[in-house]
Amino acid sequence: MDQVLAALDATWRILLIGILLGAGLPTLFAVGVRALAWGGTDGAPTPGVRPPLRGRIVAYAAFGIDIIAVLLGIAYIVLHGLGINVTFNGVIPIFTPKH
Amino acid sequence: MTPEFILLSLVVVTALAFDFTNGFHDTANAMATSIATKALSPKAAVTLSAILNLVGAFLSVEVALTVTNAVIRIQNPDGTPRADLVADGGYALLLILMAGLAGAITWNVLTWRLGLPSSSSHALFGGLVGATVASLGWAGVKWIGEGTKLDGVVGKVVLPALISPLVAMVVAMIGTRLVFWITAKLSRRYQESGFRWGQVATASLLSLSHGTNDAQKTMGVVTLALIGSGYWTSTTEIPLWVKFACALAIASGTYIGGWRIIRTMGRGLVEVFSPQGMAADSASAAVILTSSQLGFALSTTHVCTGSIIGSGLGRKGATVRWLVAARMGLAWIVTLPAAGLVGAAMWWTAHLIGGLGGGAAIFAIMCAVAAYLWWHSKQDPVSHDNVNDEWNDGADTSTDNEGVDAPAGVAGGAN
Repeated sequence: MDQVLAALDATWRILLIGILLGAGLPTLFAVGVRALAWGGTDGAPTPGVRPPLRGRIVAYAAFGIDIIAVLLGIAYIVLHGLGINVTFNGVIPIFTPKH
Repeated sequence: MTPEFILLSLVVVTALAFDFTNGFHDTANAMATSIATKALSPKAAVTLSAILNLVGAFLSVEVALTVTNAVIRIQNPDGTPRADLVADGGYALLLILMAGLAGAITWNVLTWRLGLPSSSSHALFGGLVGATVASLGWAGVKWIGEGTKLDGVVGKVVLPALISPLVAMVVAMIGTRLVFWITAKLSRRYQESGFRWGQVATASLLSLSHGTNDAQKTMGVVTLALIGSGYWTSTTEIPLWVKFACALAIASGTYIGGWRIIRTMGRGLVEVFSPQGMAADSASAAVILTSSQLGFALSTTHVCTGSIIGSGLGRKGATVRWLVAARMGLAWIVTLPAAGLVGAAMWWTAHLIGGLGGGAAIFAIMCAVAAYLWWHSKQDPVSHDNVNDEWNDGADTSTDNEGVDAPAGVAGGAN
Protein backbone atom coordinates (compact mmCIF):
# COMPACT_ATOMS: atom_id res chain seq x y z
CA MET A 1 0.00 0.00 0.00
CA ASP A 2 2.87 2.35 0.82
CA GLN A 3 4.18 1.66 -2.68
CA VAL A 4 0.88 2.64 -4.26
CA LEU A 5 0.74 5.84 -2.22
CA ALA A 6 4.33 6.68 -3.13
CA ALA A 7 3.52 6.11 -6.80
CA LEU A 8 0.43 8.31 -6.60
CA ASP A 9 2.46 11.00 -4.86
CA ALA A 10 4.93 10.97 -7.78
CA THR A 11 2.03 10.85 -10.25
CA TRP A 12 0.43 14.17 -9.41
CA ARG A 13 3.79 15.91 -9.48
CA ILE A 14 4.64 14.43 -12.87
CA LEU A 15 1.17 15.30 -14.14
CA LEU A 16 1.40 18.89 -12.93
CA ILE A 17 4.89 19.60 -14.27
CA GLY A 18 4.09 17.54 -17.37
CA ILE A 19 1.09 19.72 -18.18
CA LEU A 20 3.02 22.90 -17.43
CA LEU A 21 6.00 22.01 -19.66
CA GLY A 22 4.74 19.22 -21.90
CA ALA A 23 1.54 20.98 -22.89
CA GLY A 24 2.59 24.57 -22.17
CA LEU A 25 5.68 24.71 -24.37
CA PRO A 26 4.00 23.43 -27.56
CA THR A 27 1.13 25.82 -26.85
CA LEU A 28 3.63 28.66 -26.72
CA PHE A 29 5.11 27.41 -29.99
CA ALA A 30 1.62 27.49 -31.49
CA VAL A 31 1.24 31.12 -30.38
CA GLY A 32 4.47 31.90 -32.23
CA VAL A 33 3.37 30.10 -35.38
CA ARG A 34 0.07 31.94 -35.33
CA ALA A 35 1.67 35.33 -34.64
CA LEU A 36 3.80 34.99 -37.78
CA ALA A 37 0.61 34.62 -39.80
CA TRP A 38 -0.84 37.93 -38.56
CA GLY A 39 -1.52 40.18 -41.48
CA GLY A 40 -1.05 37.25 -43.82
CA THR A 41 -3.49 35.78 -46.27
CA ASP A 42 -5.45 32.53 -46.18
CA GLY A 43 -4.26 31.64 -42.70
CA ALA A 44 -0.57 31.75 -43.57
CA PRO A 45 2.12 34.43 -43.85
CA THR A 46 2.08 36.10 -47.25
CA PRO A 47 5.09 34.76 -49.16
CA GLY A 48 7.87 37.30 -49.56
CA VAL A 49 6.31 39.77 -47.11
CA ARG A 50 7.67 40.25 -43.58
CA PRO A 51 5.00 39.73 -40.93
CA PRO A 52 4.08 42.89 -38.99
CA LEU A 53 6.43 43.88 -36.15
CA ARG A 54 4.07 42.90 -33.34
CA GLY A 55 3.72 39.46 -34.92
CA ARG A 56 7.48 39.03 -35.13
CA ILE A 57 8.01 40.19 -31.54
CA VAL A 58 5.42 37.77 -30.18
CA ALA A 59 6.69 34.92 -32.37
CA TYR A 60 10.36 35.33 -31.55
CA ALA A 61 9.61 35.71 -27.84
CA ALA A 62 7.58 32.50 -27.92
CA PHE A 63 10.17 30.56 -29.95
CA GLY A 64 12.92 32.00 -27.76
CA ILE A 65 11.38 30.64 -24.58
CA ASP A 66 10.86 27.27 -26.27
CA ILE A 67 14.49 27.15 -27.43
CA ILE A 68 15.71 28.00 -23.92
CA ALA A 69 13.48 25.23 -22.54
CA VAL A 70 14.95 22.69 -24.98
CA LEU A 71 18.51 23.84 -24.13
CA LEU A 72 17.74 23.49 -20.42
CA GLY A 73 16.38 20.03 -21.15
CA ILE A 74 19.62 19.08 -22.92
CA ALA A 75 21.67 20.57 -20.06
CA TYR A 76 19.66 18.52 -17.59
CA ILE A 77 20.21 15.28 -19.53
CA VAL A 78 23.95 16.00 -19.85
CA LEU A 79 24.35 16.80 -16.14
CA HIS A 80 22.50 13.63 -15.19
CA GLY A 81 24.69 11.64 -17.53
CA LEU A 82 27.79 13.13 -15.92
CA GLY A 83 26.56 11.94 -12.54
CA ILE A 84 25.44 15.28 -11.15
CA ASN A 85 22.11 15.53 -9.40
CA VAL A 86 20.12 18.67 -10.02
CA THR A 87 17.65 19.59 -7.31
CA PHE A 88 15.49 22.67 -7.24
CA ASN A 89 15.17 25.00 -4.32
CA GLY A 90 12.21 26.93 -5.58
CA VAL A 91 13.49 27.64 -9.07
CA ILE A 92 17.20 27.88 -8.23
CA PRO A 93 18.98 24.71 -9.30
CA ILE A 94 21.42 23.08 -6.88
CA PHE A 95 24.06 20.71 -8.25
CA THR A 96 25.35 17.83 -6.17
CA PRO A 97 27.43 14.84 -7.29
CA LYS A 98 25.61 11.52 -7.17
CA HIS A 99 26.97 8.60 -5.24
CA MET B 1 40.93 -20.22 -22.48
CA THR B 2 38.97 -21.45 -19.51
CA PRO B 3 35.32 -22.47 -19.88
CA GLU B 4 34.40 -19.52 -17.62
CA PHE B 5 36.11 -17.13 -20.02
CA ILE B 6 34.17 -18.54 -22.96
CA LEU B 7 30.92 -18.29 -21.00
CA LEU B 8 31.78 -14.71 -20.06
CA SER B 9 32.38 -13.91 -23.73
CA LEU B 10 28.99 -15.37 -24.62
CA VAL B 11 27.34 -13.24 -21.91
CA VAL B 12 29.04 -10.10 -23.21
CA VAL B 13 28.00 -10.83 -26.80
CA THR B 14 24.44 -11.56 -25.63
CA ALA B 15 24.33 -8.32 -23.63
CA LEU B 16 25.48 -6.34 -26.67
CA ALA B 17 22.88 -8.11 -28.78
CA PHE B 18 20.25 -7.07 -26.23
CA ASP B 19 21.52 -3.49 -26.43
CA PHE B 20 21.15 -3.68 -30.21
CA THR B 21 17.52 -4.89 -29.94
CA ASN B 22 16.93 -2.17 -27.36
CA GLY B 23 18.06 0.35 -29.96
CA PHE B 24 15.90 -0.79 -32.83
CA HIS B 25 12.92 -1.42 -30.61
CA ASP B 26 13.00 2.15 -29.34
CA THR B 27 13.76 4.14 -32.50
CA ALA B 28 10.01 4.50 -32.81
CA ASN B 29 9.62 6.22 -29.44
CA ALA B 30 11.46 9.32 -30.53
CA MET B 31 11.03 9.25 -34.28
CA ALA B 32 7.67 7.64 -35.17
CA THR B 33 5.72 10.89 -35.25
CA SER B 34 8.42 12.82 -37.15
CA ILE B 35 8.49 10.07 -39.77
CA ALA B 36 4.70 9.90 -39.99
CA THR B 37 4.34 13.65 -40.52
CA LYS B 38 7.28 13.70 -42.95
CA ALA B 39 9.03 16.30 -40.78
CA LEU B 40 12.03 14.05 -41.42
CA SER B 41 12.58 11.43 -44.08
CA PRO B 42 12.75 7.91 -42.61
CA LYS B 43 16.48 7.64 -43.29
CA ALA B 44 17.24 11.09 -41.86
CA ALA B 45 15.19 10.31 -38.74
CA VAL B 46 17.00 7.07 -37.89
CA THR B 47 20.37 8.65 -38.64
CA LEU B 48 19.69 11.61 -36.35
CA SER B 49 18.34 9.35 -33.64
CA ALA B 50 21.32 6.99 -33.90
CA ILE B 51 23.83 9.84 -33.59
CA LEU B 52 22.04 11.29 -30.57
CA ASN B 53 21.85 7.86 -28.94
CA LEU B 54 25.59 7.45 -29.50
CA VAL B 55 26.30 10.87 -27.99
CA GLY B 56 23.93 10.14 -25.11
CA ALA B 57 25.60 6.81 -24.40
CA PHE B 58 29.01 8.46 -24.12
CA LEU B 59 27.63 11.23 -21.95
CA SER B 60 26.60 8.82 -19.24
CA VAL B 61 29.72 8.42 -17.17
CA GLU B 62 27.63 7.41 -14.21
CA VAL B 63 27.89 3.70 -13.48
CA ALA B 64 24.58 1.85 -13.59
CA LEU B 65 26.16 -1.16 -11.96
CA THR B 66 23.26 -1.73 -9.60
CA VAL B 67 20.70 -2.00 -12.40
CA THR B 68 19.59 -5.52 -11.42
CA ASN B 69 19.03 -4.46 -7.80
CA ALA B 70 15.68 -3.03 -8.79
CA VAL B 71 14.11 -6.45 -9.18
CA ILE B 72 16.45 -9.24 -8.08
CA ARG B 73 18.89 -9.99 -5.30
CA ILE B 74 22.12 -11.08 -6.96
CA GLN B 75 24.17 -8.04 -6.00
CA ASN B 76 25.30 -6.42 -2.77
CA PRO B 77 24.23 -2.82 -2.19
CA ASP B 78 27.64 -1.58 -3.45
CA GLY B 79 27.16 -3.36 -6.76
CA THR B 80 29.48 -6.30 -6.26
CA PRO B 81 27.89 -9.68 -6.95
CA ARG B 82 26.83 -11.91 -4.05
CA ALA B 83 29.76 -14.00 -2.91
CA ASP B 84 27.90 -17.33 -3.20
CA LEU B 85 27.19 -16.67 -6.87
CA VAL B 86 30.81 -16.12 -7.85
CA ALA B 87 32.27 -19.01 -5.86
CA ASP B 88 32.77 -21.18 -8.95
CA GLY B 89 34.51 -18.65 -11.17
CA GLY B 90 31.26 -16.72 -11.51
CA TYR B 91 29.45 -19.58 -13.24
CA ALA B 92 26.19 -19.20 -11.25
CA LEU B 93 26.04 -15.46 -11.83
CA LEU B 94 26.95 -15.70 -15.51
CA LEU B 95 24.26 -18.30 -16.09
CA ILE B 96 21.56 -16.09 -14.53
CA LEU B 97 22.66 -13.11 -16.64
CA MET B 98 22.91 -15.23 -19.78
CA ALA B 99 19.45 -16.78 -19.34
CA GLY B 100 17.90 -13.45 -18.40
CA LEU B 101 19.37 -11.65 -21.41
CA ALA B 102 18.36 -14.50 -23.71
CA GLY B 103 14.78 -14.25 -22.42
CA ALA B 104 14.76 -10.50 -22.95
CA ILE B 105 16.13 -10.74 -26.50
CA THR B 106 13.67 -13.47 -27.46
CA TRP B 107 10.74 -11.34 -26.28
CA ASN B 108 12.10 -8.20 -27.96
CA VAL B 109 12.50 -9.94 -31.30
CA LEU B 110 9.06 -11.55 -31.06
CA THR B 111 7.28 -8.27 -30.32
CA TRP B 112 9.24 -6.63 -33.14
CA ARG B 113 7.99 -9.35 -35.49
CA LEU B 114 4.45 -8.52 -34.37
CA GLY B 115 5.16 -4.80 -34.83
CA LEU B 116 4.38 -4.09 -31.19
CA PRO B 117 6.30 -1.53 -29.16
CA SER B 118 7.15 -3.13 -25.83
CA SER B 119 9.47 -1.99 -23.11
CA SER B 120 13.05 -3.26 -23.44
CA SER B 121 13.76 -2.60 -19.78
CA HIS B 122 10.71 -4.61 -18.76
CA ALA B 123 11.89 -7.42 -21.01
CA LEU B 124 15.32 -7.28 -19.36
CA PHE B 125 13.82 -7.22 -15.87
CA GLY B 126 11.43 -10.03 -16.82
CA GLY B 127 14.20 -12.23 -18.18
CA LEU B 128 16.34 -11.65 -15.09
CA VAL B 129 13.41 -12.30 -12.73
CA GLY B 130 12.63 -15.58 -14.51
CA ALA B 131 16.24 -16.75 -14.49
CA THR B 132 16.58 -15.79 -10.82
CA VAL B 133 13.42 -17.62 -9.76
CA ALA B 134 14.66 -20.72 -11.59
CA SER B 135 18.07 -20.48 -9.99
CA LEU B 136 17.58 -19.02 -6.50
CA GLY B 137 13.86 -19.51 -5.92
CA TRP B 138 11.13 -16.96 -5.30
CA ALA B 139 13.07 -15.29 -2.50
CA GLY B 140 15.75 -14.23 -4.98
CA VAL B 141 13.34 -11.72 -6.44
CA LYS B 142 12.58 -8.34 -4.89
CA TRP B 143 8.86 -8.28 -5.50
CA ILE B 144 7.96 -5.10 -3.67
CA GLY B 145 9.93 -2.23 -2.18
CA GLU B 146 9.92 -1.38 1.51
CA GLY B 147 8.03 1.61 2.82
CA THR B 148 7.54 4.54 0.48
CA LYS B 149 10.68 3.98 -1.60
CA LEU B 150 9.44 2.72 -4.94
CA ASP B 151 11.35 -0.48 -5.56
CA GLY B 152 11.02 -4.09 -6.62
CA VAL B 153 8.82 -5.54 -9.34
CA VAL B 154 5.78 -3.65 -8.07
CA GLY B 155 7.39 -0.25 -7.55
CA LYS B 156 9.77 -0.24 -10.52
CA VAL B 157 7.76 -2.12 -13.10
CA VAL B 158 4.07 -2.71 -12.39
CA LEU B 159 2.96 0.65 -10.98
CA PRO B 160 4.91 2.81 -13.47
CA ALA B 161 3.53 0.71 -16.34
CA LEU B 162 -0.02 1.36 -15.16
CA ILE B 163 0.44 5.04 -14.42
CA SER B 164 2.91 6.51 -16.93
CA PRO B 165 0.95 5.94 -20.18
CA LEU B 166 -2.13 7.55 -18.64
CA VAL B 167 -0.19 10.59 -17.43
CA ALA B 168 1.45 11.03 -20.84
CA MET B 169 -1.93 10.59 -22.50
CA VAL B 170 -3.52 13.37 -20.45
CA VAL B 171 -0.60 15.76 -21.01
CA ALA B 172 -0.51 15.14 -24.76
CA MET B 173 -4.28 15.47 -25.03
CA ILE B 174 -4.27 18.86 -23.31
CA GLY B 175 -1.30 20.05 -25.38
CA THR B 176 -2.83 18.91 -28.67
CA ARG B 177 -6.17 20.51 -27.89
CA LEU B 178 -4.55 23.85 -27.01
CA VAL B 179 -2.26 23.81 -30.04
CA PHE B 180 -5.08 23.13 -32.49
CA TRP B 181 -7.30 25.68 -30.76
CA ILE B 182 -4.69 28.41 -31.15
CA THR B 183 -3.83 27.55 -34.75
CA ALA B 184 -7.40 26.73 -35.86
CA LYS B 185 -7.60 29.63 -38.32
CA LEU B 186 -4.31 28.82 -40.01
CA SER B 187 -4.09 26.92 -43.26
CA ARG B 188 -3.30 23.24 -42.98
CA ARG B 189 -0.19 23.54 -45.09
CA TYR B 190 1.25 26.38 -42.96
CA GLN B 191 0.37 24.48 -39.78
CA GLU B 192 2.28 21.46 -41.04
CA SER B 193 5.39 23.41 -42.07
CA GLY B 194 5.32 25.68 -39.03
CA PHE B 195 5.49 22.85 -36.51
CA ARG B 196 8.14 20.73 -38.19
CA TRP B 197 11.09 22.37 -36.50
CA GLY B 198 9.49 22.09 -33.10
CA GLN B 199 8.80 18.45 -33.75
CA VAL B 200 12.37 17.67 -34.78
CA ALA B 201 13.75 19.49 -31.73
CA THR B 202 11.60 17.57 -29.24
CA ALA B 203 12.24 14.27 -31.02
CA SER B 204 15.99 14.93 -30.75
CA LEU B 205 15.66 15.60 -27.03
CA LEU B 206 13.94 12.24 -26.63
CA SER B 207 16.70 10.42 -28.55
CA LEU B 208 19.46 11.97 -26.45
CA SER B 209 17.69 11.11 -23.24
CA HIS B 210 17.23 7.53 -24.47
CA GLY B 211 20.95 7.18 -25.16
CA THR B 212 21.94 8.30 -21.67
CA ASN B 213 19.44 6.02 -19.94
CA ASP B 214 19.29 2.79 -21.87
CA ALA B 215 22.89 2.21 -22.94
CA GLN B 216 23.82 2.54 -19.28
CA LYS B 217 21.77 -0.50 -18.32
CA THR B 218 23.69 -2.81 -20.64
CA MET B 219 26.99 -1.29 -19.53
CA GLY B 220 25.97 -2.15 -15.97
CA VAL B 221 25.12 -5.76 -16.84
CA VAL B 222 28.37 -6.32 -18.78
CA THR B 223 30.46 -4.82 -15.98
CA LEU B 224 28.64 -6.98 -13.44
CA ALA B 225 29.53 -10.07 -15.48
CA LEU B 226 33.17 -8.95 -15.64
CA ILE B 227 33.34 -8.40 -11.88
CA GLY B 228 31.62 -11.73 -11.23
CA SER B 229 34.24 -13.61 -13.21
CA GLY B 230 37.14 -11.65 -11.80
CA TYR B 231 38.14 -9.63 -14.88
CA TRP B 232 37.28 -6.28 -13.33
CA THR B 233 37.18 -5.04 -9.76
CA SER B 234 36.15 -1.37 -9.64
CA THR B 235 32.53 -0.65 -8.76
CA THR B 236 32.85 3.04 -9.56
CA GLU B 237 34.22 2.77 -13.08
CA ILE B 238 33.47 0.71 -16.14
CA PRO B 239 36.03 -0.46 -18.70
CA LEU B 240 36.35 1.90 -21.64
CA TRP B 241 35.79 -0.85 -24.20
CA VAL B 242 32.48 -1.73 -22.53
CA LYS B 243 31.33 1.84 -22.94
CA PHE B 244 32.39 1.93 -26.60
CA ALA B 245 30.83 -1.43 -27.39
CA CYS B 246 27.50 -0.60 -25.71
CA ALA B 247 27.29 2.85 -27.29
CA LEU B 248 27.95 1.40 -30.73
CA ALA B 249 25.48 -1.45 -30.20
CA ILE B 250 22.57 0.79 -29.21
CA ALA B 251 23.36 3.36 -31.91
CA SER B 252 23.61 0.78 -34.69
CA GLY B 253 20.38 -0.82 -33.47
CA THR B 254 18.71 2.57 -33.61
CA TYR B 255 20.07 3.16 -37.11
CA ILE B 256 18.77 -0.19 -38.38
CA GLY B 257 15.40 1.08 -37.18
CA GLY B 258 12.58 -1.16 -36.05
CA TRP B 259 10.47 -0.17 -39.04
CA ARG B 260 7.58 -2.39 -38.05
CA ILE B 261 7.30 -0.67 -34.69
CA ILE B 262 7.79 2.78 -36.19
CA ARG B 263 4.94 2.00 -38.56
CA THR B 264 2.62 0.88 -35.79
CA MET B 265 3.34 3.89 -33.62
CA GLY B 266 3.39 6.49 -36.38
CA ARG B 267 0.59 5.20 -38.58
CA GLY B 268 -1.26 2.48 -36.72
CA LEU B 269 -2.53 4.21 -33.59
CA VAL B 270 -3.78 7.49 -34.96
CA GLU B 271 -3.26 9.75 -37.97
CA VAL B 272 -0.54 12.17 -36.84
CA PHE B 273 -0.10 15.73 -38.06
CA SER B 274 2.85 17.99 -37.26
CA PRO B 275 1.26 20.10 -34.48
CA GLN B 276 0.02 16.91 -32.88
CA GLY B 277 3.41 15.24 -33.28
CA MET B 278 5.10 18.13 -31.53
CA ALA B 279 2.54 18.05 -28.71
CA ALA B 280 3.03 14.28 -28.31
CA ASP B 281 6.84 14.48 -28.31
CA SER B 282 6.85 17.41 -25.87
CA ALA B 283 4.51 15.54 -23.53
CA SER B 284 6.80 12.49 -23.67
CA ALA B 285 9.95 14.52 -23.03
CA ALA B 286 8.38 16.43 -20.12
CA VAL B 287 7.00 13.29 -18.48
CA ILE B 288 10.25 11.31 -18.94
CA LEU B 289 12.53 14.06 -17.58
CA THR B 290 10.23 14.87 -14.65
CA SER B 291 9.95 11.21 -13.73
CA SER B 292 13.67 10.69 -13.88
CA GLN B 293 14.07 13.66 -11.52
CA LEU B 294 11.59 12.08 -9.08
CA GLY B 295 13.18 8.65 -9.33
CA PHE B 296 10.05 7.20 -10.92
CA ALA B 297 11.33 4.39 -13.17
CA LEU B 298 9.10 4.47 -16.19
CA SER B 299 9.43 2.96 -19.63
CA THR B 300 10.00 5.35 -22.54
CA THR B 301 7.93 3.06 -24.74
CA HIS B 302 4.86 3.32 -22.52
CA VAL B 303 5.13 7.09 -22.24
CA CYS B 304 5.56 7.70 -25.96
CA THR B 305 2.69 5.40 -26.88
CA GLY B 306 0.47 7.09 -24.29
CA SER B 307 1.39 10.49 -25.71
CA ILE B 308 0.56 9.50 -29.27
CA ILE B 309 -2.83 8.15 -28.23
CA GLY B 310 -3.43 11.30 -26.17
CA SER B 311 -2.60 13.47 -29.18
CA GLY B 312 -5.25 11.56 -31.10
CA LEU B 313 -7.81 12.13 -28.36
CA GLY B 314 -6.93 15.83 -28.34
CA ARG B 315 -7.51 16.47 -32.05
CA LYS B 316 -11.14 16.68 -33.03
CA GLY B 317 -11.97 14.38 -35.90
CA ALA B 318 -9.09 12.02 -35.17
CA THR B 319 -9.79 8.35 -34.63
CA VAL B 320 -7.74 6.32 -32.24
CA ARG B 321 -7.49 2.71 -33.36
CA TRP B 322 -8.25 1.19 -30.00
CA LEU B 323 -7.80 -2.36 -31.28
CA VAL B 324 -4.17 -1.60 -32.07
CA ALA B 325 -3.80 0.14 -28.70
CA ALA B 326 -5.36 -2.86 -26.95
CA ARG B 327 -2.89 -5.24 -28.60
CA MET B 328 -0.08 -3.06 -27.33
CA GLY B 329 -1.55 -2.91 -23.85
CA LEU B 330 -1.77 -6.68 -23.82
CA ALA B 331 1.87 -6.94 -24.93
CA TRP B 332 2.91 -4.63 -22.08
CA ILE B 333 1.12 -6.71 -19.49
CA VAL B 334 2.59 -9.91 -20.87
CA THR B 335 6.17 -8.58 -21.30
CA LEU B 336 7.46 -9.21 -17.79
CA PRO B 337 5.93 -12.69 -17.25
CA ALA B 338 6.65 -13.81 -20.84
CA ALA B 339 10.29 -12.73 -20.81
CA GLY B 340 10.43 -14.29 -17.34
CA LEU B 341 9.15 -17.64 -18.57
CA VAL B 342 11.66 -17.68 -21.40
CA GLY B 343 14.42 -16.64 -19.00
CA ALA B 344 13.48 -19.44 -16.58
CA ALA B 345 13.25 -22.02 -19.37
CA MET B 346 16.66 -20.93 -20.66
CA TRP B 347 18.18 -21.25 -17.19
CA TRP B 348 16.76 -24.76 -16.70
CA THR B 349 17.96 -25.85 -20.11
CA ALA B 350 21.48 -24.63 -19.38
CA HIS B 351 21.39 -26.09 -15.88
CA LEU B 352 20.31 -29.55 -17.07
CA ILE B 353 23.02 -29.67 -19.71
CA GLY B 354 25.50 -28.17 -17.27
CA GLY B 355 28.86 -26.48 -17.62
CA LEU B 356 29.92 -24.45 -20.60
CA GLY B 357 27.75 -26.59 -22.87
CA GLY B 358 24.64 -25.31 -21.11
CA GLY B 359 25.52 -21.68 -21.71
CA ALA B 360 26.44 -22.41 -25.31
CA ALA B 361 23.18 -24.30 -25.82
CA ILE B 362 20.94 -21.42 -24.74
CA PHE B 363 23.06 -19.03 -26.79
CA ALA B 364 22.41 -21.25 -29.81
CA ILE B 365 18.67 -21.50 -29.04
CA MET B 366 18.40 -17.74 -28.76
CA CYS B 367 20.22 -17.23 -32.08
CA ALA B 368 18.01 -19.80 -33.77
CA VAL B 369 14.79 -18.17 -32.53
CA ALA B 370 15.95 -14.71 -33.58
CA ALA B 371 17.08 -15.97 -36.99
CA TYR B 372 13.76 -17.77 -37.53
CA LEU B 373 11.73 -14.67 -36.67
CA TRP B 374 13.92 -12.55 -38.92
CA TRP B 375 13.47 -15.01 -41.76
CA HIS B 376 9.73 -15.12 -41.08
CA SER B 377 9.57 -11.33 -41.25
CA LYS B 378 10.69 -11.49 -44.89
CA GLN B 379 7.14 -12.52 -45.79
CA ASP B 380 5.89 -8.98 -45.25
CA PRO B 381 8.93 -6.74 -45.09
CA VAL B 382 8.61 -3.28 -43.62
CA SER B 383 11.44 -0.88 -44.43
CA HIS B 384 12.08 2.82 -44.85
CA ASP B 385 10.38 2.49 -48.24
CA ASN B 386 6.95 1.47 -47.04
CA VAL B 387 6.95 2.52 -43.38
CA ASN B 388 4.53 5.34 -44.14
CA ASP B 389 2.11 3.42 -46.35
CA GLU B 390 -1.58 3.63 -45.58
CA TRP B 391 -2.53 1.61 -42.53
CA ASN B 392 -5.05 -1.08 -43.25
CA ASP B 393 -5.35 -4.43 -41.62
CA GLY B 394 -7.94 -6.29 -39.63
CA ALA B 395 -7.49 -3.89 -36.76
CA ASP B 396 -8.09 -0.86 -38.93
CA THR B 397 -11.16 1.05 -37.85
CA SER B 398 -10.50 4.25 -39.74
CA THR B 399 -13.81 4.20 -41.56
CA ASP B 400 -14.63 7.64 -40.27
CA ASN B 401 -14.90 10.82 -42.29
CA GLU B 402 -11.13 10.98 -42.77
CA GLY B 403 -11.19 8.19 -45.28
CA VAL B 404 -7.93 7.04 -46.76
CA ASP B 405 -6.83 10.43 -48.05
CA ALA B 406 -6.21 11.63 -44.55
CA PRO B 407 -4.21 14.78 -45.30
CA ALA B 408 -7.00 16.15 -47.44
CA GLY B 409 -9.90 14.72 -45.51
CA VAL B 410 -8.72 16.06 -42.19
CA ALA B 411 -8.81 19.71 -43.18
CA GLY B 412 -11.81 20.19 -40.95
CA GLY B 413 -10.20 18.36 -38.09
CA ALA B 414 -8.92 21.43 -36.33
CA ASN B 415 -12.10 23.43 -36.46
